Amino acid sequence: MPASSSTSPPPVGSPHDESAARRNWLAILARTPRAALEHGLTAALPDGLPQFDWLRPPETGLAMVRGRVGGSGDAFNLGEATVTRATLRLRAAADIPLTIGIACLLGRDKRRTELAALSDALLQVPAYHQTIYTQLIQVQAQQIEKDREAQRRAAAATRVEFFTMVRGD
Amino acid sequence: MSIPNHQPSHTQERMQWDTLPPGFADPVHDSQSVFRILLDALARPARLFRIETALDTGTTATPVAALAALYALCDFATPVWLASPNQALSSALRFHSGAPLAEQPADAAFAWIDDAAAMPALSSFALGDAESPEFSATLLIRVSSLSGGPELQCSGPGIETTQTMAPLGLPSGFWQARAELAGLFPCGVDLYLICDDTLAGVPRTTRVEEA
Repeated sequence: MPASSSTSPPPVGSPHDESAARRNWLAILARTPRAALEHGLTAALPDGLPQFDWLRPPETGLAMVRGRVGGSGDAFNLGEATVTRATLRLRAAADIPLTIGIACLLGRDKRRTELAALSDALLQVPAYHQTIYTQLIQVQAQQIEKDREAQRRAAAATRVEFFTMVRGD
Repeated sequence: MSIPNHQPSHTQERMQWDTLPPGFADPVHDSQSVFRILLDALARPARLFRIETALDTGTTATPVAALAALYALCDFATPVWLASPNQALSSALRFHSGAPLAEQPADAAFAWIDDAAAMPALSSFALGDAESPEFSATLLIRVSSLSGGPELQCSGPGIETTQTMAPLGLPSGFWQARAELAGLFPCGVDLYLICDDTLAGVPRTTRVEEA
Protein backbone atom coordinates (compact mmCIF):
# COMPACT_ATOMS: atom_id res chain seq x y z
CA MET A 1 0.00 0.00 0.00
CA PRO A 2 1.32 3.47 -0.77
CA ALA A 3 2.84 4.89 2.39
CA SER A 4 3.11 8.28 0.69
CA SER A 5 -0.68 8.68 0.86
CA SER A 6 -0.35 9.26 4.60
CA THR A 7 1.52 12.55 4.49
CA SER A 8 -1.60 14.55 5.38
CA PRO A 9 -3.95 13.56 8.20
CA PRO A 10 -6.85 11.58 6.79
CA PRO A 11 -10.26 13.19 6.64
CA VAL A 12 -12.40 12.06 9.52
CA GLY A 13 -16.08 11.89 8.75
CA SER A 14 -17.91 9.15 6.94
CA PRO A 15 -17.37 5.57 8.12
CA HIS A 16 -15.82 4.77 4.76
CA ASP A 17 -13.13 7.41 5.17
CA GLU A 18 -12.52 6.27 8.74
CA SER A 19 -12.07 2.64 7.81
CA ALA A 20 -9.73 3.53 4.93
CA ALA A 21 -7.70 5.77 7.21
CA ARG A 22 -7.61 3.10 9.90
CA ARG A 23 -6.49 0.46 7.40
CA ASN A 24 -3.72 2.82 6.37
CA TRP A 25 -2.39 3.41 9.89
CA LEU A 26 -2.76 -0.26 10.83
CA ALA A 27 -0.57 -1.13 7.83
CA ILE A 28 2.06 1.31 9.03
CA LEU A 29 1.84 0.13 12.66
CA ALA A 30 2.38 -3.43 11.42
CA ARG A 31 5.75 -2.38 10.03
CA THR A 32 6.83 -0.23 12.96
CA PRO A 33 9.57 -1.62 15.20
CA ARG A 34 8.98 -1.89 18.94
CA ALA A 35 11.41 0.87 19.90
CA ALA A 36 9.70 3.34 17.58
CA LEU A 37 6.28 2.45 19.04
CA GLU A 38 7.53 2.88 22.61
CA HIS A 39 9.16 6.16 21.73
CA GLY A 40 6.20 7.52 19.74
CA LEU A 41 3.63 6.66 22.41
CA THR A 42 5.60 7.97 25.37
CA ALA A 43 6.28 11.18 23.46
CA ALA A 44 2.58 11.62 22.66
CA LEU A 45 1.40 10.69 26.17
CA PRO A 46 3.89 12.15 28.65
CA ASP A 47 1.49 11.37 31.55
CA GLY A 48 1.67 7.64 30.91
CA LEU A 49 -0.32 5.21 28.84
CA PRO A 50 -4.10 5.07 29.36
CA GLN A 51 -5.76 2.18 31.17
CA PHE A 52 -7.28 -0.58 29.11
CA ASP A 53 -8.76 -4.08 29.35
CA TRP A 54 -7.69 -7.00 27.23
CA LEU A 55 -10.42 -8.53 25.12
CA ARG A 56 -7.84 -10.84 23.63
CA PRO A 57 -4.40 -10.74 25.26
CA PRO A 58 -1.49 -11.01 22.83
CA GLU A 59 -1.34 -14.53 21.44
CA THR A 60 1.07 -16.02 18.95
CA GLY A 61 0.02 -18.42 16.25
CA LEU A 62 0.36 -19.30 12.63
CA ALA A 63 -1.46 -17.66 9.76
CA MET A 64 -1.58 -19.18 6.30
CA VAL A 65 -0.22 -16.78 3.71
CA ARG A 66 -1.93 -17.25 0.39
CA GLY A 67 -0.60 -16.20 -2.96
CA ARG A 68 -1.91 -15.95 -6.48
CA VAL A 69 0.11 -16.43 -9.64
CA GLY A 70 -0.25 -13.39 -11.83
CA GLY A 71 -3.56 -11.59 -11.74
CA SER A 72 -5.72 -14.50 -12.81
CA GLY A 73 -4.11 -17.61 -11.31
CA ASP A 74 -5.73 -19.69 -8.61
CA ALA A 75 -4.92 -18.91 -5.00
CA PHE A 76 -2.41 -21.27 -3.43
CA ASN A 77 -1.00 -21.66 0.07
CA LEU A 78 2.39 -20.02 0.06
CA GLY A 79 3.32 -21.00 3.60
CA GLU A 80 2.65 -20.23 7.21
CA ALA A 81 3.80 -17.09 8.96
CA THR A 82 4.11 -16.53 12.70
CA VAL A 83 1.81 -13.73 13.77
CA THR A 84 0.89 -12.21 17.11
CA ARG A 85 -2.51 -10.62 17.53
CA ALA A 86 -4.26 -8.74 20.30
CA THR A 87 -7.45 -6.79 20.93
CA LEU A 88 -7.89 -4.32 23.75
CA ARG A 89 -10.54 -1.85 24.92
CA LEU A 90 -9.59 1.51 26.38
CA ARG A 91 -11.34 2.30 29.64
CA ALA A 92 -13.58 5.33 29.39
CA ALA A 93 -11.97 8.37 31.02
CA ALA A 94 -12.34 12.15 30.88
CA ASP A 95 -11.23 12.62 27.27
CA ILE A 96 -11.28 8.95 26.20
CA PRO A 97 -14.43 7.12 25.10
CA LEU A 98 -14.60 3.31 25.10
CA THR A 99 -12.45 2.40 22.11
CA ILE A 100 -11.29 -0.86 20.58
CA GLY A 101 -7.72 -1.26 19.41
CA ILE A 102 -6.47 -4.20 17.39
CA ALA A 103 -3.11 -5.38 16.13
CA CYS A 104 -1.93 -8.34 14.12
CA LEU A 105 1.81 -8.30 13.50
CA LEU A 106 4.37 -10.68 12.03
CA GLY A 107 6.63 -12.25 14.63
CA ARG A 108 6.20 -13.10 18.30
CA ASP A 109 6.82 -9.79 20.03
CA LYS A 110 3.91 -9.42 22.47
CA ARG A 111 4.93 -6.03 23.82
CA ARG A 112 5.13 -4.67 20.28
CA THR A 113 1.64 -6.04 19.54
CA GLU A 114 0.31 -4.42 22.71
CA LEU A 115 1.79 -1.05 21.77
CA ALA A 116 0.45 -1.29 18.22
CA ALA A 117 -3.06 -2.11 19.49
CA LEU A 118 -2.84 0.78 21.94
CA SER A 119 -1.74 3.12 19.16
CA ASP A 120 -4.66 1.96 17.00
CA ALA A 121 -7.11 2.66 19.83
CA LEU A 122 -5.64 6.08 20.62
CA LEU A 123 -5.65 7.08 16.95
CA GLN A 124 -9.44 6.74 17.05
CA VAL A 125 -9.69 9.08 20.04
CA PRO A 126 -10.07 12.66 18.77
CA ALA A 127 -8.05 14.11 21.66
CA TYR A 128 -4.96 12.07 20.73
CA HIS A 129 -5.40 11.46 17.02
CA GLN A 130 -3.44 14.46 15.74
CA THR A 131 -0.46 14.06 18.08
CA ILE A 132 0.03 10.35 17.47
CA TYR A 133 -0.65 10.69 13.78
CA THR A 134 2.06 13.29 13.27
CA GLN A 135 4.56 11.92 15.80
CA LEU A 136 4.28 8.23 15.04
CA ILE A 137 2.43 7.36 11.85
CA GLN A 138 3.82 10.07 9.58
CA VAL A 139 7.35 9.58 10.85
CA GLN A 140 7.11 5.83 10.29
CA ALA A 141 5.49 6.23 6.88
CA GLN A 142 8.44 8.36 5.81
CA GLN A 143 10.87 5.83 7.26
CA ILE A 144 9.17 2.94 5.44
CA GLU A 145 9.22 4.91 2.18
CA LYS A 146 12.92 5.73 2.72
CA ASP A 147 13.77 2.07 3.30
CA ARG A 148 11.83 1.07 0.21
CA GLU A 149 13.57 3.68 -1.85
CA ALA A 150 16.97 2.46 -0.62
CA GLN A 151 16.01 -1.09 -1.51
CA ARG A 152 14.82 0.01 -4.94
CA ARG A 153 18.10 1.82 -5.56
CA ALA A 154 20.12 -1.20 -4.44
CA ALA A 155 18.12 -3.40 -6.76
CA ALA A 156 18.32 -0.93 -9.63
CA ALA A 157 22.12 -0.80 -9.35
CA THR A 158 22.35 -4.47 -10.25
CA ARG A 159 20.01 -4.19 -13.21
CA VAL A 160 21.21 -5.80 -16.41
CA GLU A 161 19.89 -4.66 -19.78
CA PHE A 162 19.55 -7.32 -22.43
CA PHE A 163 19.72 -6.09 -25.99
CA THR A 164 18.55 -8.19 -28.90
CA MET A 165 18.45 -7.42 -32.58
CA VAL A 166 14.94 -6.89 -33.81
CA ARG A 167 14.43 -9.17 -36.75
CA GLY A 168 11.84 -8.47 -39.35
CA ASP A 169 9.94 -11.50 -40.58
CA MET B 1 -37.61 -29.60 8.47
CA SER B 2 -40.00 -27.34 10.36
CA ILE B 3 -38.63 -24.02 11.50
CA PRO B 4 -40.09 -22.70 14.74
CA ASN B 5 -41.61 -19.29 14.20
CA HIS B 6 -39.85 -17.78 17.18
CA GLN B 7 -36.59 -18.20 15.28
CA PRO B 8 -34.68 -14.93 15.76
CA SER B 9 -32.68 -13.36 13.02
CA HIS B 10 -29.63 -12.43 15.02
CA THR B 11 -26.90 -13.89 12.90
CA GLN B 12 -26.11 -10.68 11.03
CA GLU B 13 -26.12 -8.33 13.99
CA ARG B 14 -23.31 -5.90 14.58
CA MET B 15 -20.70 -6.70 17.21
CA GLN B 16 -21.36 -5.24 20.65
CA TRP B 17 -17.89 -3.98 21.39
CA ASP B 18 -18.75 -1.83 24.40
CA THR B 19 -19.86 -4.69 26.61
CA LEU B 20 -17.85 -7.55 25.10
CA PRO B 21 -16.54 -9.64 28.03
CA PRO B 22 -12.96 -10.92 27.97
CA GLY B 23 -12.60 -14.62 27.21
CA PHE B 24 -10.64 -17.25 29.13
CA ALA B 25 -7.75 -15.71 31.08
CA ASP B 26 -5.48 -18.51 29.84
CA PRO B 27 -7.14 -19.63 26.58
CA VAL B 28 -5.11 -22.80 26.05
CA HIS B 29 -5.18 -24.30 29.52
CA ASP B 30 -8.63 -23.08 30.49
CA SER B 31 -10.26 -24.49 27.37
CA GLN B 32 -8.37 -27.76 27.90
CA SER B 33 -9.58 -28.13 31.48
CA VAL B 34 -13.17 -27.26 30.51
CA PHE B 35 -12.97 -29.73 27.62
CA ARG B 36 -11.78 -32.41 30.03
CA ILE B 37 -14.80 -31.83 32.28
CA LEU B 38 -17.15 -31.92 29.27
CA LEU B 39 -15.63 -35.25 28.22
CA ASP B 40 -15.95 -36.64 31.74
CA ALA B 41 -19.57 -35.51 31.89
CA LEU B 42 -20.42 -37.56 28.78
CA ALA B 43 -18.34 -40.52 29.99
CA ARG B 44 -20.18 -40.52 33.34
CA PRO B 45 -23.71 -39.61 32.30
CA ALA B 46 -26.17 -37.92 34.66
CA ARG B 47 -23.52 -37.09 37.26
CA LEU B 48 -23.00 -33.48 38.24
CA PHE B 49 -19.75 -31.76 37.30
CA ARG B 50 -18.64 -28.28 38.25
CA ILE B 51 -16.79 -25.89 35.96
CA GLU B 52 -14.31 -24.18 38.24
CA THR B 53 -12.62 -22.03 35.63
CA ALA B 54 -13.07 -18.33 36.36
CA LEU B 55 -14.81 -16.61 33.48
CA ASP B 56 -16.41 -13.20 33.17
CA THR B 57 -19.86 -13.68 31.63
CA GLY B 58 -20.38 -9.91 31.39
CA THR B 59 -23.78 -8.92 30.06
CA THR B 60 -24.38 -12.21 28.25
CA ALA B 61 -26.82 -13.39 30.98
CA THR B 62 -25.52 -16.90 30.33
CA PRO B 63 -24.46 -19.41 33.02
CA VAL B 64 -20.70 -19.66 33.38
CA ALA B 65 -20.77 -23.39 32.58
CA ALA B 66 -22.58 -22.78 29.28
CA LEU B 67 -20.30 -19.95 28.20
CA ALA B 68 -17.16 -21.91 29.14
CA ALA B 69 -18.47 -24.97 27.26
CA LEU B 70 -19.25 -22.92 24.15
CA TYR B 71 -15.82 -21.23 24.24
CA ALA B 72 -14.09 -24.59 24.68
CA LEU B 73 -16.07 -26.53 22.07
CA CYS B 74 -16.87 -24.10 19.26
CA ASP B 75 -14.69 -22.87 16.46
CA PHE B 76 -15.08 -21.65 12.88
CA ALA B 77 -16.22 -25.12 11.76
CA THR B 78 -19.09 -25.51 14.24
CA PRO B 79 -22.18 -23.34 13.69
CA VAL B 80 -23.95 -22.42 16.91
CA TRP B 81 -27.69 -21.88 17.20
CA LEU B 82 -29.03 -19.66 19.95
CA ALA B 83 -32.62 -20.43 20.86
CA SER B 84 -33.34 -16.90 22.05
CA PRO B 85 -31.76 -13.74 20.63
CA ASN B 86 -28.91 -12.56 22.78
CA GLN B 87 -26.77 -9.92 21.18
CA ALA B 88 -24.16 -9.85 23.94
CA LEU B 89 -23.72 -13.63 23.74
CA SER B 90 -23.57 -13.73 19.94
CA SER B 91 -20.91 -11.01 19.94
CA ALA B 92 -18.89 -12.83 22.59
CA LEU B 93 -19.13 -16.14 20.73
CA ARG B 94 -18.23 -14.64 17.37
CA PHE B 95 -15.25 -12.83 18.84
CA HIS B 96 -13.81 -15.44 21.20
CA SER B 97 -14.63 -18.70 19.43
CA GLY B 98 -14.98 -17.51 15.84
CA ALA B 99 -18.01 -19.76 15.47
CA PRO B 100 -20.63 -18.76 12.92
CA LEU B 101 -24.21 -18.45 14.15
CA ALA B 102 -26.69 -20.81 12.53
CA GLU B 103 -30.01 -19.46 11.26
CA GLN B 104 -31.83 -22.74 11.84
CA PRO B 105 -31.48 -25.46 14.47
CA ALA B 106 -30.84 -28.09 11.80
CA ASP B 107 -27.65 -26.30 10.68
CA ALA B 108 -26.11 -26.17 14.13
CA ALA B 109 -23.37 -28.32 15.60
CA PHE B 110 -24.06 -26.83 19.02
CA ALA B 111 -27.23 -25.22 20.34
CA TRP B 112 -27.65 -23.09 23.43
CA ILE B 113 -31.21 -23.36 24.73
CA ASP B 114 -31.82 -20.67 27.26
CA ASP B 115 -35.48 -21.47 27.87
CA ALA B 116 -36.20 -25.18 27.82
CA ALA B 117 -39.96 -24.56 27.87
CA ALA B 118 -39.82 -22.87 24.44
CA MET B 119 -37.35 -25.22 22.79
CA PRO B 120 -38.15 -26.73 19.38
CA ALA B 121 -38.67 -30.46 18.92
CA LEU B 122 -35.51 -32.56 19.39
CA SER B 123 -36.00 -33.94 15.88
CA SER B 124 -35.53 -30.44 14.39
CA PHE B 125 -31.83 -30.59 15.29
CA ALA B 126 -29.18 -32.36 13.23
CA LEU B 127 -29.26 -36.06 14.16
CA GLY B 128 -26.43 -37.18 11.88
CA ASP B 129 -26.85 -40.01 9.43
CA ALA B 130 -26.01 -43.70 9.61
CA GLU B 131 -22.64 -43.26 7.90
CA SER B 132 -21.59 -40.22 9.90
CA PRO B 133 -23.53 -39.99 13.17
CA GLU B 134 -20.93 -37.55 14.44
CA PHE B 135 -22.55 -34.78 12.39
CA SER B 136 -25.27 -34.46 15.00
CA ALA B 137 -26.00 -31.57 17.31
CA THR B 138 -24.97 -31.23 20.92
CA LEU B 139 -27.60 -29.33 22.90
CA LEU B 140 -26.75 -27.22 25.92
CA ILE B 141 -29.98 -26.75 27.83
CA ARG B 142 -30.45 -24.43 30.76
CA VAL B 143 -32.43 -25.90 33.64
CA SER B 144 -33.53 -24.00 36.72
CA SER B 145 -31.87 -26.56 38.97
CA LEU B 146 -30.06 -29.88 38.65
CA SER B 147 -31.70 -31.22 41.77
CA GLY B 148 -35.16 -31.14 43.27
CA GLY B 149 -37.01 -31.99 40.07
CA PRO B 150 -38.79 -35.23 39.18
CA GLU B 151 -36.48 -38.16 39.79
CA LEU B 152 -35.02 -39.90 36.74
CA GLN B 153 -33.33 -43.32 36.64
CA CYS B 154 -30.49 -43.37 34.13
CA SER B 155 -28.63 -46.42 32.88
CA GLY B 156 -26.38 -47.35 30.00
CA PRO B 157 -22.70 -47.06 29.07
CA GLY B 158 -20.69 -45.25 31.72
CA ILE B 159 -23.16 -46.10 34.51
CA GLU B 160 -22.46 -49.24 36.55
CA THR B 161 -26.03 -49.91 37.70
CA THR B 162 -28.24 -46.85 37.73
CA GLN B 163 -27.64 -43.16 38.30
CA THR B 164 -30.31 -40.85 39.63
CA MET B 165 -30.78 -37.33 38.31
CA ALA B 166 -33.49 -34.81 39.17
CA PRO B 167 -33.26 -31.76 36.92
CA LEU B 168 -35.91 -29.10 37.38
CA GLY B 169 -37.33 -26.99 34.59
CA LEU B 170 -37.55 -29.31 31.58
CA PRO B 171 -40.87 -29.31 29.72
CA SER B 172 -43.18 -32.27 30.26
CA GLY B 173 -42.80 -34.91 27.59
CA PHE B 174 -39.12 -34.00 27.08
CA TRP B 175 -37.75 -37.41 28.11
CA GLN B 176 -40.51 -39.15 26.18
CA ALA B 177 -39.49 -37.25 23.01
CA ARG B 178 -35.85 -38.08 23.66
CA ALA B 179 -36.63 -41.77 24.15
CA GLU B 180 -38.32 -41.80 20.74
CA LEU B 181 -34.98 -40.90 19.13
CA ALA B 182 -33.33 -44.00 20.63
CA GLY B 183 -34.51 -46.12 17.70
CA LEU B 184 -32.40 -43.99 15.36
CA PHE B 185 -29.15 -45.01 17.08
CA PRO B 186 -26.30 -44.38 16.20
CA CYS B 187 -27.96 -41.12 15.19
CA GLY B 188 -29.32 -38.82 17.86
CA VAL B 189 -28.44 -35.78 19.94
CA ASP B 190 -26.24 -35.44 23.01
CA LEU B 191 -27.37 -33.19 25.84
CA TYR B 192 -25.76 -31.12 28.52
CA LEU B 193 -28.09 -29.87 31.25
CA ILE B 194 -26.66 -26.69 32.70
CA CYS B 195 -27.38 -24.65 35.80
CA ASP B 196 -24.95 -21.89 36.82
CA ASP B 197 -21.51 -23.54 37.07
CA THR B 198 -22.79 -27.12 37.18
CA LEU B 199 -23.64 -29.45 34.36
CA ALA B 200 -24.66 -33.02 33.66
CA GLY B 201 -24.12 -34.86 30.38
CA VAL B 202 -26.75 -37.09 28.83
CA PRO B 203 -25.30 -38.77 25.73
CA ARG B 204 -27.56 -40.53 23.20
CA THR B 205 -26.63 -43.95 24.67
CA THR B 206 -28.14 -43.23 28.09
CA ARG B 207 -31.58 -44.67 28.88
CA VAL B 208 -33.58 -42.27 31.01
CA GLU B 209 -36.67 -43.54 32.80
CA GLU B 210 -39.12 -41.37 34.64
CA ALA B 211 -40.10 -42.74 38.01
